[in-house]
Amino acid sequence: MTGRIDRAVNYALLVGFSFVALYPIGGIVLAALQRPGELSGFSIPRDLHFSNFAEAWTQGHFATYLKSSLIVSVSVVVVATLLSLLAGFAFGTMKFPGHRLLFYVFLLGLMVPLEGIVIPLYYDLRALSLTDTYWALILPQIGLSLAFGTFWMRAFFMSTPRSLIEAAEIDGARNWSILWRVLVPFARPAILTMMVLIFMWTWNEFLLALVMVSSENLRTAPLGLAFFQGQHSSEATLLAAGAIIVSLPVVVTYVLLQRHFIRGMLSGAVKG
Amino acid sequence: MKDSLPVQARIGLRAGRRARARDKAPPGEPRAIGYLYLLPALLVYGAFVLLPLGHSVLLSFYEWDGITEGTWIGLSNYQDLITDSQTRAAFLHALILILFYSILPVAIGLLLAALISRTDLRGLTWFRTILFLPQVVPLVVVAVIWSYIYAPGTGPLNEGLRAVGLDGLTRSWLGDFSWALPSVGLVGTWVQYGLCMVLFIAGVQKIPTSLYDAARVDGAGPGHEFLAVTLPNLRNEIAVALTLTIIASLRNFDLVYLTTKGGPGNATSVPAFEVYNQAFEVGQVGFASAIGVVLALIIFAITGVVNRIAEARE
Amino acid sequence: MARVRFVEATKRYGDVAALEGLNLTVEDGELVVFVGPSGSGKTTALRLLAGLESISSGHVYIGDKQVDDIPPRERDIAMVFQDYALYPQMTVYKNLAFGLRMRKVPGPEIDKQVRDAARILGLEAMLERRPRQLSGGQRQRVALGRALVRSPQVFLMDEPLSNLDAKLRVQTRVEIARIQREFGTTTVYVTHDQTEAMTLGQRVAVMKDGALQQFDTPKTLYDRPANLFVAGFIGSPAMNLTEASLDREGDSLVARFGDHRLRIGDDTLARRPELHRFEGRKVVIGIRPEGFEDASIVPEAPPDRRLSVVVDLREDMGSDVYAYFSGLPAFTPEATGKPDDPADPTTRSPDTATFIARLSPQTHVREGTHAELLVDEEAIHFFNPETGLGVNGGRIR
Repeated sequence: MTGRIDRAVNYALLVGFSFVALYPIGGIVLAALQRPGELSGFSIPRDLHFSNFAEAWTQGHFATYLKSSLIVSVSVVVVATLLSLLAGFAFGTMKFPGHRLLFYVFLLGLMVPLEGIVIPLYYDLRALSLTDTYWALILPQIGLSLAFGTFWMRAFFMSTPRSLIEAAEIDGARNWSILWRVLVPFARPAILTMMVLIFMWTWNEFLLALVMVSSENLRTAPLGLAFFQGQHSSEATLLAAGAIIVSLPVVVTYVLLQRHFIRGMLSGAVKG
Repeated sequence: MKDSLPVQARIGLRAGRRARARDKAPPGEPRAIGYLYLLPALLVYGAFVLLPLGHSVLLSFYEWDGITEGTWIGLSNYQDLITDSQTRAAFLHALILILFYSILPVAIGLLLAALISRTDLRGLTWFRTILFLPQVVPLVVVAVIWSYIYAPGTGPLNEGLRAVGLDGLTRSWLGDFSWALPSVGLVGTWVQYGLCMVLFIAGVQKIPTSLYDAARVDGAGPGHEFLAVTLPNLRNEIAVALTLTIIASLRNFDLVYLTTKGGPGNATSVPAFEVYNQAFEVGQVGFASAIGVVLALIIFAITGVVNRIAEARE
Repeated sequence: MARVRFVEATKRYGDVAALEGLNLTVEDGELVVFVGPSGSGKTTALRLLAGLESISSGHVYIGDKQVDDIPPRERDIAMVFQDYALYPQMTVYKNLAFGLRMRKVPGPEIDKQVRDAARILGLEAMLERRPRQLSGGQRQRVALGRALVRSPQVFLMDEPLSNLDAKLRVQTRVEIARIQREFGTTTVYVTHDQTEAMTLGQRVAVMKDGALQQFDTPKTLYDRPANLFVAGFIGSPAMNLTEASLDREGDSLVARFGDHRLRIGDDTLARRPELHRFEGRKVVIGIRPEGFEDASIVPEAPPDRRLSVVVDLREDMGSDVYAYFSGLPAFTPEATGKPDDPADPTTRSPDTATFIARLSPQTHVREGTHAELLVDEEAIHFFNPETGLGVNGGRIR
């Protein structure tokens, strides 16, 4: 008997809290489908106006913004993954003098907020005439992602059975082969999780884009949305449509790979 | 073929020529190779994280407008930080927001952990996906959504209040001197509580049933069960939740910039916003750097303290 | 020539010596088993041979080459790990081929070697499967195959059977022995199971606490253990031990322990002249359970080689009967390495020991009643109570 009551209570609680989480998002989706100018509150639209999306897309130049975000995110993910694999491999399987200290240096990066370094980054990159370029967005985010990526891959490689690496050594593989032929195939889920998290953090990054970018072509999606909001603050339906366009890539990736997202956030957060 | 001397004797004989007791690396492992693998990551990380960090500290000792020459003023910026009422207000607001971003979501998560039965959790994947969604959505989008929700005229919140006859409670939430900060805080609560829930549900499922059975046999009621079994075993998860949420509360630039820009007046100024504001709007780069440095230090301190407490009680 | 030599091989971790001064030669084509409890140094010795650990002092030779500083991949060895260490994302074929690919062996040659090995081990049907689709026994064979395919100078095996169930263990043990003999490759095999050691090894090295206790053929280890540890470790149930005083009675020596009295035969004495030095002193007597028989079913059992006992417990095993009796003075050296073995009297602390006798199924003994047990003269062992060394037992080589 208690089993059934327990289950009912469980579902009630979970449904309730899930509803609260979903309501604002659902609401904005509905708002984006409303007839423009008629929006009030969150209500079911009488008829679906998908044209809002087309309107927002063209007026908001979201094509450009999405392209920009894509270039930045993909670059960051690819390079950060590569470098994290190399560094994580070194930390996770080799013992060289100072390896502990160097790892703590990377760990520091997990705690450094962008707010703490964005100012010097701006002025330094400006001195190098790199502001308002993709480099200004890509390079610092690779740097920050490396803190997480190195920590993540190191943890994974350390948990790999030592005998696997030893067997490969005896089979004649040098470090490079061990990493790419034995460990990386084995680490695919972990690597995917890392890539997915870095993608999300990079796509969602706003402050860096705000500081570095001035020309319209380079605006990333979040920045583009902010500008769009500035221009169309009274056209709620348009704004809602724009918001959805901007969040779609990340949310879709999330829904498809949510297992990796959540696992990554939860276990990666337990530092060390 | 040696004779069968007792082991002890042989050890004694060799004592004189004992090799240095230092662990050598397995043969054929040149240690330098580790550095080589590390180098690319270290270079990028060093150049774009560590160097700027140091540079931030350096800048914080200057008074500079970003254009002309700066002047060395030592710790003056930090003094101003402490004495200036505006900055103090910003940090105070940060403290209040920690309540909303961190304490409240953790409490809500713990409530769920306490109430939920650990046995039957089918379909949990779906709930987890939904609960975690606010964490995934870009903060910019969150800001747009909640700006709309809080909108005085047609915003759903006010509409909702009107619908239940509480017209008197409607107001311009983000424009109200007293209500702006809690409004912003509540957004944070909405973003973070799902994370805490997912964390704690996962943690609760790992607690062996035998502990609960033992408590029940000892006559513990549900409240006691929670305090004696659930809470202590969630220690790690609580530490993680606190760390992540507190850091999020201090890094809420996006939300403040897009909803209130620190206003009305200074009602929602926060350190993260002030860093940007002071550097790029007001033109006090040195001062802004100091705020950034302090922000980083606070995060280091909190991470350290929370994790120390979690480890110490193990 | 793939002879393996350890010369004063020592491995230290900080102040602790995991292996101390090992001197041992494995002849070309020989299968030598290193056996001992955990911490005995057997795995350390294997890993030194493999090059997975650096040697602290001393040397290791493979063939006539000193390999101390040579990395594993250049030592021409192959190893079978306890957890098999198969490459999880590769098919069985690729697992087998990996070592050859690393050595840049041409494709067709690899194919031939892999298929040959697969045939020998019965893996042909599984070449396209992945390790997670295989059973434990199949994975073990792939691990063996991976070693075979490389045709190395030396096989190294680190407890390869521990993760298999009992029946598979026996089957695979036979396989390994057969393959080793067929290929004639020098093999160093590590295990903690003395049965494995005794059945597989052409010679067995018994290790304890980092030191070699005795290195000899299984038969010699059984018949002439060099010290108490080897005596207690080899053979199951373990050897019964008691402390006795050796007195002279007339022309012969008599061992007295508890209420018992055993005359030491002339042949025994002749083979162990050192025993005379223990006259009038204490000596440790060891009698294997197999060394007893029910005197009532042995015609003309000599009276002075009997123990008069009360049987506490009788266990019928079908092919044997185990009889437990007590009341003998215990001899308790440090544990012989078999924790919680009810058959090992030396790991229990009370003053009296319980002996186990393995009798033929025809025996008449009954629980709670008196019985006369005959002791086989050949089966009595003597040990120095202070050093633990066998009195004219085997020699450590």
